[in-house]
Amino acid sequence: MVGEELAVIDASGMRAIGAGLAIGLTGLASAIAEKDIGTAAIGAMAENESLFGKGLILTVIPETIVIFGLVVALLIK
Amino acid sequence: MLNVKQMSRVTIVGHKDIFERTVDALHGINSFHLEDYNNEDLGLKIGKPFENGEDVSNKLIKIRSISNFLGVKKGNIKKQNMDSVFKELDTKLVELDNEVSKRTGRKIEIENNQKELVTHINELLPFATIPIDLEQYSGYENIAVFAGVVKGDIESKLSNITKSYELFSDSKSGIIVLFVLKEHADAVSDILSEFAFKELRVPEMSGVPVDLLGKMELDVANLQKNIESLDAEIESLKIKYSDFILASDELLSIETQKAEVPLRIATSEHTFMVDGWVPNEDYDLLADTIEDATDGRAFISRTDVTKEENDIVPIEYNNPKITQPFEEIMNLYSRPKYTEIDPTSLIFISFPLFYGMILGDIGYALILMTLAFGIKKLVKSDAVKPLMNILIYCQISTLIFGVIYGEFLGFSLAGLETHGVYIPGLIAGFETINLFPSPFAAEMITYPVHRTHLVMTMIVVTALIGLIHINFGFLLGFINERKNHGFMAAVLEKGSWFVIEIGLLLAALGYMGYISSISGIGVFLIGFVMLLKGEGIKGPIELPALLSNSLSYTRIIAVGLSSIYIASTVNQIAFDMVMPESFGPMTIFAILIFLFGHALNTVLSIIAPGLHSLRLQYVEFFTKFYKGGGIKYNPFGYIRKYTEE
Repeated sequence: MVGEELAVIDASGMRAIGAGLAIGLTGLASAIAEKDIGTAAIGAMAENESLFGKGLILTVIPETIVIFGLVVALLIK
Repeated sequence: MLNVKQMSRVTIVGHKDIFERTVDALHGINSFHLEDYNNEDLGLKIGKPFENGEDVSNKLIKIRSISNFLGVKKGNIKKQNMDSVFKELDTKLVELDNEVSKRTGRKIEIENNQKELVTHINELLPFATIPIDLEQYSGYENIAVFAGVVKGDIESKLSNITKSYELFSDSKSGIIVLFVLKEHADAVSDILSEFAFKELRVPEMSGVPVDLLGKMELDVANLQKNIESLDAEIESLKIKYSDFILASDELLSIETQKAEVPLRIATSEHTFMVDGWVPNEDYDLLADTIEDATDGRAFISRTDVTKEENDIVPIEYNNPKITQPFEEIMNLYSRPKYTEIDPTSLIFISFPLFYGMILGDIGYALILMTLAFGIKKLVKSDAVKPLMNILIYCQISTLIFGVIYGEFLGFSLAGLETHGVYIPGLIAGFETINLFPSPFAAEMITYPVHRTHLVMTMIVVTALIGLIHINFGFLLGFINERKNHGFMAAVLEKGSWFVIEIGLLLAALGYMGYISSISGIGVFLIGFVMLLKGEGIKGPIELPALLSNSLSYTRIIAVGLSSIYIASTVNQIAFDMVMPESFGPMTIFAILIFLFGHALNTVLSIIAPGLHSLRLQYVEFFTKFYKGGGIKYNPFGYIRKYTEE
């Protein structure tokens, strides 16, 4: 029984699922992190517009997480 | 090029007799950055504005309010002679003020009349269908009058009470005017309330409503005509005076600026002391001009910038014209400090380079370049121009990488045979050439470089580019640190990173068995201790950043791939899925999908590569050497647009 079920699982399908998880989860992680920073950055900009540059940089820092996710997904593929 | 403009601190002292002349001269040069005086403990007081200050600023307020009212727009006008504007300023300002206020007064009067008439019309309108003179609504001894709106027909019920009544009604609007004997008034009123009677106020006028309405509407139209002719007069005033308004606004702004200078300067009873900064190259001009203006009576002293003053020197970039647009990117982050390397010229190269490596598509490069040139030509704003220049530089780089990658709007230009399947390119007969096998993965380097088939190699290559870029940052950090804190600090804080990297490299070689791994570990430990000594505990915490920062550069390929996939998905939907065999309505639909899809990706092509390339500069590169926080150099003066001396 067990052997039969295993045979149904396709290796390339598993890889695709893994790649999808890598991107999806890291995307969520980036979003959660950026949400907080973005709100704070906009708050700071409302006080002082010259903080736009710094706010932008701080906001995109967590982008790295999803980029790594994308790289991992490419490696799995 | 890598340094900001060198400044001198200049102090000018003199008798108050020559105060105004000195300020005039300084203003004329437009290169002296005033340092505000705010230390009253020294026994010197902040000065009072020049005598003409109040007069000038009153006039300025007047001219600005008129300019606002007329809606004068800044535009290109012939430059006017300053003296002649000044001479006729007073008379012309009074004249203009009279002309404008006369017309605005008249306009407001007419508008009020018009409004009053419109209220009367609104009151009269309900009675328009009742042909009775308005005077006949009141003034009876024995008759009660009901005027208002009812729902339904009241006549049958009314006749139950009395036969002697007079009723005028309009069934459409439900308006009634009812005359009954006073003795029946209460009973009638009860009936009316059953029909939801709402009383209307009868306007206190005389005449039949229809005639009155006709006359009033005519009057309103006439008044409207008057207003329009007044508006036309005001418009012609605007055309006639806009040159004068612009020129005198500028002139008065300059005068106010000068008149208020003493508020920023130290003065005693008879002397003044102007303190500030001037770029070294402009010092001679400054000294000569002030000598001339004051017949040598002002005392000018010049000192070089001391170490304590490094934080308060105003910063002026010193870049060749071609790299100047990138000063905007620097300003977005922070101006360099006086003794720091100004990296504008470096990001002039690296920003477009990374942008191009990410986007790398001939089609998008051409679209965006056309767009940038178009906007630059149409929009004359000083804020937009540098951004468009940056976009153009980026597109040049994108075009070059587009040729290297052989991509056009997501299509591959060259045909490629992969895993036994042949994918034709956009240009028939242009085939991919195999160059050499990739040293990093089981992939073949080709021309054009197919990014989608060289993912592994590109990941390694971009990470290596990152490593080079980061190390370049450390090198700049070394130079900065040596300038500010000496050679030893530079070696410990920045040099230690190189030692650590060499140690890691040796350890890796040792791991692969080329040399003994002891030497690698030893060198690494030396570097580690140096870093600990240079940066404290925060140094070793930063160590993993070496890896994460260089891996961060893999975004160059990752974001690039996402852009390709969006473009090729659009192409696939448009041409493989929707486009029919023969021409039909679906052909147009397919073309629309193609256009909208690529329009969307064009917008994304500015944002995504731009932001990521910017981030690589700001986060990965700048953190290695750059602090920033310089004060903007803001010379005392004015760039004349509408007047000349």
